[in-house]
Amino acid sequence: MFELRPAPSVPAAASRRRALVPLPAPDAPPAPGRDELWLAAHFPRLPLDALLPGTWQARAAVVTAPDDPRRTVVACNERAAHQGIAPGMGLNAALARVPGLRVEERRPAAEAALLDRLGRWALQFTPAVSLEPPGAVLAEVRGSLDLFGGAMELVRRALAGLSSNGLSASLALAPTPRAALWLARGELALTVTRTDALPGIAARLPLACLHWPEDTVATLAGLGIANVAELVRLPRTGFAARFGPRLLDELDEGFGRRAAPRRRYVMPERFDERFELPAPAEAVALVEPVLEQGLARLEAFLRARASGIRVLRVDFLHRTHEPTRLSLALARMARDAAELRPLLRERLGRCRLEAPAEALRLRSGVLLPLHIRDAGLFERGRSADPESTARLLDLLRARLGHDAVFSVRQVAEHRPERAFRIAEPGLTAGLPVPWPAARPARPLWMLAEPQPLDGWDGTLVTGPERIETGWWDGRDVRRDYYVAMSRAGVRLWIFRERPPGQGWFLHGVFG
Amino acid sequence: MNGVAELLRHPALWRGGDAGAPDTVPTGFRALDARLPGGGWPLATLIELLVPAAGVGEIRLLLPALKRLAMTESAVPRWIAWLAPPHLPYAPALADAGLDPARMLVVRPRAGSDRLWAMEQALRSGACAAVLGWAGAADGTALRRLKLAAEEGGTPAFLLRPATHRGDGSPAALRLALAVQGFGLDVEILKSRGGAPARVERLLIH
Repeated sequence: MFELRPAPSVPAAASRRRALVPLPAPDAPPAPGRDELWLAAHFPRLPLDALLPGTWQARAAVVTAPDDPRRTVVACNERAAHQGIAPGMGLNAALARVPGLRVEERRPAAEAALLDRLGRWALQFTPAVSLEPPGAVLAEVRGSLDLFGGAMELVRRALAGLSSNGLSASLALAPTPRAALWLARGELALTVTRTDALPGIAARLPLACLHWPEDTVATLAGLGIANVAELVRLPRTGFAARFGPRLLDELDEGFGRRAAPRRRYVMPERFDERFELPAPAEAVALVEPVLEQGLARLEAFLRARASGIRVLRVDFLHRTHEPTRLSLALARMARDAAELRPLLRERLGRCRLEAPAEALRLRSGVLLPLHIRDAGLFERGRSADPESTARLLDLLRARLGHDAVFSVRQVAEHRPERAFRIAEPGLTAGLPVPWPAARPARPLWMLAEPQPLDGWDGTLVTGPERIETGWWDGRDVRRDYYVAMSRAGVRLWIFRERPPGQGWFLHGVFG
Repeated sequence: MNGVAELLRHPALWRGGDAGAPDTVPTGFRALDARLPGGGWPLATLIELLVPAAGVGEIRLLLPALKRLAMTESAVPRWIAWLAPPHLPYAPALADAGLDPARMLVVRPRAGSDRLWAMEQALRSGACAAVLGWAGAADGTALRRLKLAAEEGGTPAFLLRPATHRGDGSPAALRLALAVQGFGLDVEILKSRGGAPARVERLLIH
């Protein structure tokens, strides 16, 4: 990783070398406005980072191309590079240098998923993000500079975010997307903010940063051309005839002589990602670090969308068994890992794995727009916090299960067992239920089912209250209710079916 | 005169003179209030009620205070939490007593060990106006945790336990034993922080 500094020598060099640049073609469209500033992030170790998160790269590791008899090294980590391994080397040569080398086969799908994640991550800086497969992300950030306190601060932040995710990247800023890519790939510690300053740094760009086909680069090298400055000195027509018009277009795009509209990255509507575990985990506790990483990604995803979720699913994927599935339903929207972590932890504490887990899958429910909460404006204290109720609900449900926590409501119904219902806790008062003005007292406790009272020998206190209704739905009741007192002094609500004969039933306790 | 006395007991009312007295909410029973320091249930602490059998009148004893606690609210409504109650609270009876059923949060953990945990969470959250919890055996540490959580969350914790635990030590600020006497309910104050043991007879008439 390197620090980005403003280009020190641009103005003088630019004026000297401008003459060397071929003149713009007469029919070229106007150059893109100077208003654009592109941030390019190039990830040289993406094939490796996609398979092994940075923190697990303690050992020297390489990724090799799958359909390649030589098994060329595509990417290697820092440790491997220190021991003399470089991309392009055959695997045998690499193993000869480092016998204990960890070798992984390249997985394009994982790389695409990581790049997608990076695109999502970049959306926190600007809505204009585009992916540049195989290993780069572009973001137009001119409009965001003020918001982030200038170009340097934005780059610093981006670098900090990437390295905290264990990703190695090189960043560059340039007025055209292609030039930004060149600078990033060339790992030049440069920021170029004006189109007319671009030719001045062309001499410092090696041909490799163009990512052109190998044979093209080899041919150019054979012509004695080592950098982009020398390349643009070639006559345009000859270049186009020899290498095709597409590469010439690329050069024009790079120098801002040709507009290069890019497809904007559009984020998927839900979070759905798979996380490999470093080793098969037999207990839920062992996946916590990975889960933590997943929550951090989820948070970044949600932050970029200014959204929250109310449903989070966690699947533990096993080699042979069906996945172990967990679902977390929240009473209020959540976005931050700090909010989700304790809930998930409670939930996981109750979960047992039937087989060792190989990977985790984290999926969100639908994304919901999150109203901006001004953290710090309201103290997270006692009753001043309107979210404390929702937080409590989530916490209890995470550990005890969804159905173990509920509220109750009144229902306008004369049959006692139907005069209430279980309801979702919400604190908002239900509609007032019309009742006959005077109703005999009802017990505070209700039994789930009336219980037969065998050998009842208590005392009847008041009654009967005749409840005879419900004939219309076939579940009619014909009962005489009494308030009674048990031997232990408990006031009970008991009834006898009509016509009498079936004995007494206990239905409620006055409490 | 009576109205003023009533008003002065309002928990939301703070008087300069009673800074040292504990915050309380009237029990709704004058005979009991007279025996309790501060003239009511202490707020933000653990209150233990020992009952000979579930249903002897313990809820009716608490109802007036619950109603008051539910009404004297800040802008944010809070719950009355019922943790592991022996039966379902019956919404029509609550409504008859002047308690909005929507304010009730019923928690029925399957495992006994989750009861005290859930009660602690409810207390600590500050999201409840009052927490009623049913527990059998609970060691001193668990009870101290509850008391601490009640103090932290500013929530009164009413812990209902079988009368067989009367002999156990308890960190509760207030400890009452209920007993049925004929058609009435006697309340014995076993322990009262800042007060003295006492007995109030025939508090509730069945």
